[in-house]
Amino acid sequence: MSAKADTQSIALEYDLPHPPAKVWRALTDPKLLASWLMASDMRPLVGHSFSFRAEPTPWWDGIVHCEVLEMDLHKRLRYTWRSGPESSPLDTMVTWTLTPTPSGGTRLALEHSGFVPGNAFAFDGARKGWERMLGEGLSEVLARDAGSGG
Amino acid sequence: MQRQDTVFRALADPSRRAIFERLTRGEAAVKDITARFDISQPAVSQHLATLRRAGLVSERRDGRLVYYRVDPKGLRPLIDWIVHYQAFWPEHLDRLQALLKEMDA
Repeated sequence: MSAKADTQSIALEYDLPHPPAKVWRALTDPKLLASWLMASDMRPLVGHSFSFRAEPTPWWDGIVHCEVLEMDLHKRLRYTWRSGPESSPLDTMVTWTLTPTPSGGTRLALEHSGFVPGNAFAFDGARKGWERMLGEGLSEVLARDAGSGG
Repeated sequence: MQRQDTVFRALADPSRRAIFERLTRGEAAVKDITARFDISQPAVSQHLATLRRAGLVSERRDGRLVYYRVDPKGLRPLIDWIVHYQAFWPEHLDRLQALLKEMDA
């Protein structure tokens, strides 16, 4: 899948010893989703709107708004992944692709696409300055903060 | 969420951003900052107060002088979403694999 030139994706692939039907259940059953991802009212039906809910933080309400865009039973599931405050909106898409392997397992591919790089910093057109700063002082500060969790 | 808006608003001003950038390189008193920038002392104090309210800088009193420094926690709302999810997904997929092991076929 090709992303727009100005967006970035996260792509991960896992070889699992479990059959696609079982992996599919873990990706779509709200009870199972709650135990590894987040509480959800997901149903794998195209057009179904649902959400994921995590603990809110001071800068995030913890809610991810989703809509199923594509569903091919035991093979492919795609939904929107929208979240964040107005000042730094996250308007992305999550795609799960399940491919059976010869040994009876599943190759599970996750693509989380549509990230706008540095959208938090583009709000007043100051991105260049921010990038320069991120490369120097700020990264040092963040490195110092790494030990305090969060 | 409001907290993040406060951070963005605080950093939207070029002078405040310049002061903040100066503080990422080390602690400074108002007079150090005034000496470096073409801004009056009251204006610098005003900018520092805004940065402090946004949680971006903290202050330390030493006698009659007040020193300001960057508060790293204040920067968390500025961390890009992609950075967040680059850590989020591997962590949660580890949990998915642990769950699959426990599940019946």
